[in-house]
Parts: sequence; C-alpha cells; structure tokens
Amino acid sequence: MNMASAGQQGQYDATAGDENSTEDPTVIFPGGRAKNSDAMYAITRIRGQQMSDARQQAGKPKPPIHIGAVKGLLAVVILFLACLAAFSSRLFAVIRFESIIHEFDPWFNYRSTHYLVTHGFYNFLNWFDERAWSPLGRIVGGTVYPGLMVTSGAIYNILHSLNIPIHIRDVCVFLAPLFSGLTALAAYGLTTELWDASAGLLAACFIAIVPGYISRSVAGSYDNEGIAIFALLFTYYLWIKAVKTGSIAWASATALLYFYMVSAWGGYVFIINLIPLHVCVLLLMGRFSNRVYVAFCTFYILGTLMSMQIPFVGFQPVRTSEHMAAAGTFVLLQAFAFLRYIQDFLTKQEFRSLFFFGVLGTAGITFMGVVFLTYAGYVAPWSGRFYSLYDTGYAKIHIPIIASVSEHQPTTWVSFFFDLHILVCTFPAGLWFVIKDINDERVFIALYALSAVYFAGVMVRLMLTLTPVVCILAAIAISKTLNEYLVDELPKKSLTGEEEEEEEEEDADRKNRKYYDKAGKVRRIKTDKGKDDEGMGGNLKGFVVVAIIMTLMLFSVHCTWVTSNAYSSPSIVLASHNQDGSRVILDDFREAYYWLRKNTDDHARVMSWWDYGYQIAGMGNKTTLVDNNTWNNSHIALVGKAMSSNETAAYKIMRDLSVDYVLVIFGGVIGYSGDDINKFLWMVRIAEGEHPRDIKESNYFTPNGEFRVDKAGSPTLHNCLMYKMCYYRFGELQLDFRSPAGFDRTRGVEIGKKDISFEHLEEAYTTEHWLVRVYKVKPLSNRVPSQNLLKRKAGVKKYVSKKTSKKRRGSIKNKPAVKRGKRTRGGGKVNKRI
Amino acid sequence: MVTRMRFARCGFLLGVAILAVIICDQQSYAVKKEEQLGERVKQLVEWGNKRAVIRMNGDKYRLYAKSAPRNYSLVIMLTAMQPQRQCSVCKAVGEEFQIMANSWRYSQAYSNRLFFASVDYDEAADVFKSLKINSAPSIIHFPAKGKSKKGDTYDIQRLGFQAENLAKWVAERTDVHIRIFRPPNYSGTIALGILLAMVAGFLYFRRNNLEFLYNKTMWGVGALSIVFAMTSGQMWNHIRGPPYAHRNPQNGQVSYIHGSSQGQFVAETHIVILLNAAVTCGIILLNKNSITDGDVRKRRVVTVIGLALVVFFFSLLLSIFRAKYRGYPYSFLIK
Repeated sequence: MNMASAGQQGQYDATAGDENSTEDPTVIFPGGRAKNSDAMYAITRIRGQQMSDARQQAGKPKPPIHIGAVKGLLAVVILFLACLAAFSSRLFAVIRFESIIHEFDPWFNYRSTHYLVTHGFYNFLNWFDERAWSPLGRIVGGTVYPGLMVTSGAIYNILHSLNIPIHIRDVCVFLAPLFSGLTALAAYGLTTELWDASAGLLAACFIAIVPGYISRSVAGSYDNEGIAIFALLFTYYLWIKAVKTGSIAWASATALLYFYMVSAWGGYVFIINLIPLHVCVLLLMGRFSNRVYVAFCTFYILGTLMSMQIPFVGFQPVRTSEHMAAAGTFVLLQAFAFLRYIQDFLTKQEFRSLFFFGVLGTAGITFMGVVFLTYAGYVAPWSGRFYSLYDTGYAKIHIPIIASVSEHQPTTWVSFFFDLHILVCTFPAGLWFVIKDINDERVFIALYALSAVYFAGVMVRLMLTLTPVVCILAAIAISKTLNEYLVDELPKKSLTGEEEEEEEEEDADRKNRKYYDKAGKVRRIKTDKGKDDEGMGGNLKGFVVVAIIMTLMLFSVHCTWVTSNAYSSPSIVLASHNQDGSRVILDDFREAYYWLRKNTDDHARVMSWWDYGYQIAGMGNKTTLVDNNTWNNSHIALVGKAMSSNETAAYKIMRDLSVDYVLVIFGGVIGYSGDDINKFLWMVRIAEGEHPRDIKESNYFTPNGEFRVDKAGSPTLHNCLMYKMCYYRFGELQLDFRSPAGFDRTRGVEIGKKDISFEHLEEAYTTEHWLVRVYKVKPLSNRVPSQNLLKRKAGVKKYVSKKTSKKRRGSIKNKPAVKRGKRTRGGGKVNKRI
Repeated sequence: MVTRMRFARCGFLLGVAILAVIICDQQSYAVKKEEQLGERVKQLVEWGNKRAVIRMNGDKYRLYAKSAPRNYSLVIMLTAMQPQRQCSVCKAVGEEFQIMANSWRYSQAYSNRLFFASVDYDEAADVFKSLKINSAPSIIHFPAKGKSKKGDTYDIQRLGFQAENLAKWVAERTDVHIRIFRPPNYSGTIALGILLAMVAGFLYFRRNNLEFLYNKTMWGVGALSIVFAMTSGQMWNHIRGPPYAHRNPQNGQVSYIHGSSQGQFVAETHIVILLNAAVTCGIILLNKNSITDGDVRKRRVVTVIGLALVVFFFSLLLSIFRAKYRGYPYSFLIK
C-alpha cells in the first residue's frame, strides 16, 4: 500500500512539474481560456489528491482494496496482454508455413547476422562480401545499418550464455514480433506523457494490432523497420520527458536511443528533422524555456557525436543537407538564449528591438550560411531519395530504380483505410483535441502527425511512420469520448462485470475509465451533481458506448483479417487453394535455390534480376551479380541489357561478367504475376538509361504501343534472352484441355514463339511448377559451328574462264584507276580528251 | 590548206568555247546549289537567332524542309495553337518544345546542324495534308539526308512530351545531344514571396491585435484539412492525374468510384474527404464543447447528431471500401 501510494506521489509530482511548465513566467501565451482551464485542471487535480489523501488519513479505517494498487495491476495486466496480442497476432506465417525468413531484404539481414554470430563483431564490421556484386564485391560492414544484426546477435549470445540453445534463424524470425510488444510499451509511455494513462493503454492496444505496423513486422520479416519503430517511439518518449523536465539525464537518454535508431534504420533522418522543427515551433510560439534549451543542446551534441560512430553514417551529420536543419536550430537556439541572457542588462525598449533583429539576423545568417556551404560543396545537397519526397515528380524522371519499386508509389485512400481502418477517421479528432488543448509536448505530436501524414501520402512505404502517431491520436480521441460517456456507469459497472477476453482494448479502457484515470474521476465528482443527474439519459450514453465498442470490435476483426490474408505470406513459399478447399504449397523457390546450393560449383556466378540477389546469396550460397542493395545502377543496367538483348549479344556480356548460371522467375504455368516477364519492361528501361544505343524500349512494343508476348508481339521481344529463357519448351506444354499448348496463364495468352532453341545456353534446372528456371552458360566452343563451314564450302567455286584461248586478250597489270570528274592538271587537257 | 587549218582551229576553238560554256554552266549550277544552301542556312540561322522555334508557313516548309539540298536536320512540330482550336495538349507540348529549342539555342554546342520549327494548322493546312497528318500536335524529324523514316515521327502518346524525353529522341535521330536547361520557374517563388510579404504586412498592420494568431480553432481546421487531404489520397491524384469520374461510353453512366483498389477517381477522393470529415466531426460533437455549455437538452441533441454522424458515415465508408476491395468480408449496418 505504501509503495503504491509512493508511486502515486511520484506521478503527481511529475504532473505538477508539467503544470509548472505551462505556468513558466516566460510563456507569452494570450490564449487565456486554455491556460486558465489548464490551471484549473491542475488545481482540481491537486485538490482531488488532497482529498484522497485526506480520506486516506482521516477517513476510512481500512479500505478493502487500495485503488492505486488495482490501477497499477490492471495497467500491468493490460499492457502484458497487449504485448501478448502484438506478439501472437504476428505468428500467422509461422503457424501456417514454418519458421522461415520472408521476402528479399530479410535474407540479407539474416545472412549478415549469421556472419556476425559466427565470426564476431569486429570481423562483421570489416566484412568484405565477395559473393555479392561480382566482380566488384561489397563492403558490408560499411554499408549496412548494423543495429538489427547486433540486436539479434546480442539476444542470441545472451540466450546461449544461459544455456538455451536456440538457432540464430529463430532469433531472427521472432525478433520483429518481440519488438512490436516493446513498441506497444513505448506507445503507452508516450501517450501517457502526452495525455493520460488510459489513453496510453488504448494506444498500446491499438499499435499492437494495427495492420499498418504489422505489415512490416510479422514473424519472419526480419527487417530494419521491425526494430526501428520501437526505437522511434521510445526516442520520442524520452524527448518528451526531456522537454518536460529539462533534465540532462533524460536528454542524454534521448540521444542514446537516437543512437540506437541511427544504427537501425535510415529513417532516423525523420527524428533529426522533427525534433528541431519542434524546437523552432516552440520558439515561434513563445514557449522557449531553459528546459527546451537544455534538452535540445544535450540531445543534439550527444546525438550527433554518437550517430557519427556508425560506419555507414560517418560524417553525414555534418556534411549533408538532411542534417542541416538540426545544426541551424542549434545555432539559433544559442543566439536566442544569449539574447535572453542580455535581457537583464538592458531596458525593455532596447531589448525588444535588439531581440527582434538579433533572432531574425541569426536565423537569416544561418540559413544563408547553409545555402552558401551547399553551393560551395561543403555540404551535400538533398539526396535523391529524400528530394523525391518534396518534389514528387523527381524520382520518376531521374531515378527509375526508385520509381520501379512498388512501395515507393503514392498512397490511395484505400491503402490508408486498409492499414488503419477506423483510426483513419478518428485520429483527426484526436489531433483536434490536442490542438485545442495545446502545451509544449502536444505541439510535438501535432507536428509529428502533420509531417508523417504528408510523407505517407507521398509514399506507401512511409505509412509505417504514420501508424504510431495515428494510434496515439486515435487513442486520445476515443479515450476522451469514452471518458465522457462511461464515467456515469461507474457504480453499475462493478455489478455487471462482463468481460470479454478477446477484445482487450475495449475492456482495457472500460477498466481504465473505472479506476485508472483519476482526473476523470475527480471531474465526475465535480460535474455529475450538476449535469448528469438532470439526465444525459443512461440510454443515450449506453448507445454511444455500445457504438464505440462495436466499431472497435470491428477494428480488431479487420486487423486480424488483414494480417491473416494480406500480410502473412512469406512470399518465398506460395500457397494456393484447390477447389475442394485443400491447400497446395508451391515451394519452387527453395527447391531451385537448394538445387543451386548442392549441384553447382561453390564459386559459380548466378545472374538474375536484382530482386532475387539476396535470396540466391542467402539460400543458394552462390555469388550474384546484382542484388537488392541497388547501389550500382550501371551494373544493374548491364544485367538488364543482357536480359533484353538477343542471345549472341547477351552471351558476350555474360562472358565478360563470367556468368555460369542464369536464373529467371517464370509464372506462366501457375499464374504467378510477380514474374520476370512482368518486370521485364523495367529491365529494358533501366538498361536503356545506361545503354541508349543498344537497347530501345520502343522496340519491345508492338506498333500500337502494347507489350504483348503473343504472336503480335515485337520480334525484338521474341528474340531477347529473357523471353527465350522463360518460354523455352513452353510451347510443348499443354496445361489443360481447354487451352492450347503454350498458354501463358499470367498474361492469359498463347505465346507467340514456340520453337525456341539455344546456342550458348542450356537448360540446367526447372522447378516443379516452372516457377524458377536455371540455365547454364556454355563455355566458348572450340570450333566455328559447322553449318557455317559447309555453307562457305558450297559458296567457293573455282573460277574457270569460259573464254577460249583465241579470245583471250592481254590485260595490263596495275592498271591505273581513273577517277572520274577529277581534273589533275588544267582544264585544257580534259577538254582535249573529250 | 591554211583555211582548212583555220577552220580546224576555228572548230577547235568553237568546241573549246562550247565546252567551256557547258562546264561553266555546270559549275555555276553547282555553285548556285551551294549558294542556295548557304543562303538557306544563313536564312535559317538568322531566323533561329530571332526565335528558337522558327515559325513556318506552307511555302517556307516546302522550301526548307522538303526540297533536296540540306545539310541540316529540321525538327518540326505540327500544331494548332489558335485559341479557337481549343487544343490544350498543343500548348503543353509547345512549351516543352520551346524549352528544348531554347536549350539548344543557348547551349555551347549550338551549330547549324539542327533547327527547330513549328507549323500551325491555321497557317498551313496544306502541310498537314501533304504529310497525311490529321491530328495535332505531332513532331516530325526531317533528316539531313534522305527521307523521313518510321522513327522520325515522335510518339507523344507513349514517350510523353517532357523536354527531356524529346531531347533523348532528338539525340537518337540526329546525334545532337541537348542538355535540357529548364528556365527556373520563378512563379512559385514569387508567389511564395508575395504571400509571405502579404502575411508579414497583415501581421504588421494588425500588430496591436494579434489575438487571432492564437485562435486554436483556426489552426485546428488548418491541420485537419491537411490530414484529410492526405488520407483521402489527394497526393496520389496530384502525381497520377486520374480523371474526375468515369463515363461509360456504352450507356453513358457515370461512375464516381473506381472499381479496383489500385486506382481512384478525383470525385471519389472528394467523397472520401466528406465521409472522413463527417466521422471526425461526429466524434468531436460527442465530446463536451462550447456549443452546449450547461444546456442539457442541447447537449443531448448534439450527442445524438454526433453519434448518428459517426455510425452512419463510418458504415458508408466501410461499404465503399468493401465494394472496392474484393473479398472483404465485413460490413457495418449498411451492406
């Protein structure tokens, strides 16, 4: 009991500090109403606490259950359940298939994690991977964000030191679900700091199951984003703490978590721009205080120093435009603080003008300085990836390789609704409440929401950074609404006591409303005498609550459905359903990679389109030419050129690159739409970008500008390497009786060229459903192909003159050739000859 | 004998003379040709100096593009710029063409190997007729030697009309590489500057009464409109440029909702904005606000309205989503 009340005390201290912060003497905020209400709120809170203290001391001799303890217990239970839900709802793929790594990038992460745990940390940092980007190789240690590998390596080592022999693959598979549990905790902390604990619990439950986040963190999708969202939210939580308290300790903790974020994901740029933006807006709003100064300066200095320790980041924090906003804000803050310091020595009038011009001047000079440094070349301009967020048409014209990735497309409203469901319409209300009742930290969440919603609109992929703030704001809106309509039922509630295990978010907040939110309760004491007795009407309140709970139930059902149907496919094992409902597993990818692993030379080089590079390296353990780390556009273009030229030209390129095997993905037999023929135009386009003389996109279209693989398709297409490799002997295959032989199910047409033969390649392996086809590149042949020889023999005839000996006339050897129309000397001679 | 000799000489001289005349004639013909070519190039250069895209009528077209001796490539845009033609594409293409021509005109490598010209339909309908072209705009390349081939007509439909793509095509056809230099678009900057100046002026005039800046409702509405614009996919519209709605050519029915989940119409996004905003308003109304301070009856009405807004419009949104996303099993109130 004592402990609980002590905790209580601590909490109130914190909130009291918070209220002090709004009453900071420096605040010039004429929005009188809100401030007053804040103050009143604080007073009622404190009064409430005094009352309860008084009750505790003087009143009841022995309360049956201490309310704080129940509150704490409930919070722990709910958070635990939220973590459990977060973990278990991500296991669909593991249960349906098996514990495997999904998709493309995770395979690289897995491979490097494996390297890390077998060879040690320092060897990992110095790792030069000669199996990628052959013949160039790749310096892995300097080109990855190592946070992910180090995290799972650490977990692996800890478990092994505890004598739990777990395979590193399982650590990798379950890392993302584990961290989404932690994300739920971080969301709870952040929302509690921003609003109150009940909203925090709701936010934790939301983020545990929201599809927008699950899409990147199902078991097996072992990628940077899985741990980065946790790091992002936790950094923000610590930053809010730092701003609220102004303590160096919290600010240092923020910097530390920022360091972790930098080590984990390139999206850290979002943090290093959002926090300065927050500080700037606070300055503009006249909410500057020493707390903000301490927090930001500590964070910036420590954070920058630490982020530069990551080899991949290096000197970027001082050399690129993405980080210049933070540096500029840092300078501005110093000037601002200095001017405030001088305030003491000047008269008011003097100070006002000095202050105005000082701040404006500093801002101007800083801005000009950054612009000048950029022009002078000391600071790199915005990189294409970030610039394309600002100028949305940029990537399409200049960086086709970025534009070709489907997750870099803009977002339709359907995607928003699909990933966020009810939250997409409730979170604006939360934003509204936050703006209406603004304070230092709520400025932050409003800015976060606005910037993230813009980025999510530009790129589907950045839905991920939007999702947390949507959960937080929606939780605030719904928690506030439920606060309004549930408090009245407080006494009845304990009687009905119906609890549904499944929709824990609903129960969570019902319970919260009951016990946890002290402020709400106090307000009830104040208000229910006045209003509720006269009757909002129990029925109406009941309706509202039921409606909200129903929509929330719908939300949880939606989340489960989406997770199960859309986001839980490993994409290296495909599943299809027969007409009788039985499931067929198509395991062609692993079949082919395993074949490569076991049947080819250890140093064999496999050429494929870059999508499959990581998988070939990870599962097949073979050398690849290009992979998903698309750092070298010209190398990719070379592979694209080989794929889109005819066999002879392609053979030359493949000899130059010493390719041993070529691998293509062909979905025509089973109707798999993500195959190489459908990606082929990108290959052509990328190849054309580098080799415009040899490859022309227009050659691959019909005269009407269509891309067709049937008879009407262009001859260039029919003769290119990709087409031949995909459709080799496909013309002999009749899939069923309704369709002709060589009927491509993906494109829905009969192919145009059925008699395909190879000169320099031979088929090495084709998987069960023809999904993966591997070809071997033949070595150079010793002899010139014989048919040409025969031809030449037939062509060469011995010249026999048909003239008789009498008719033979002598001819002059070395007869001078007369050039017509060329006058060698004067005109006269020509004249004569004529 | 002498006379004969003389005659012979005379004959010889005559022959020489005749020959000389013939040769002179031939020579002068060649010279004339060369002169003509030089004249033409000179003329073109002169025009080109005046404006990067030379305007041609039918006669000029026949003289400079059609007739034989040419050592220059000519890229001609056939267009219909007159306002009564209402060809908006022509204008857009024309601007890009102009950008390319200017980039070439002011580039380092500028020479008289390549000229840009335009022919307007209303000035030279006969050109269109002779080329058998019945749609504008189209861009045709007349090579220095020989006739126009298949690839010499630029495919606007497929390649798009960005100046960069045009330049790529020109490089392909003529081996002249043009680096596109877009005149920096100052209009945006100027507009922003004017806006900022206006805001600053406004603030300055109202400096004694800046209360409105602290009006949270204003800020709230601003923030919410950004959010609604983004969550309804306005950015997608901006980048992809879909039509406003689709009219079925067979039965003339207009559909406002795109059938697949991959696409959307502009009208559809407007509907979604309304639905989202309605649900949000409902939730805000459900909470205590200044409208109903103290008045319980009013409060009750507002609550009912809020609840109805949330429930009805959310179920409507869900049903639209369901119609678009095939196989989605759930619905709420409305099927």
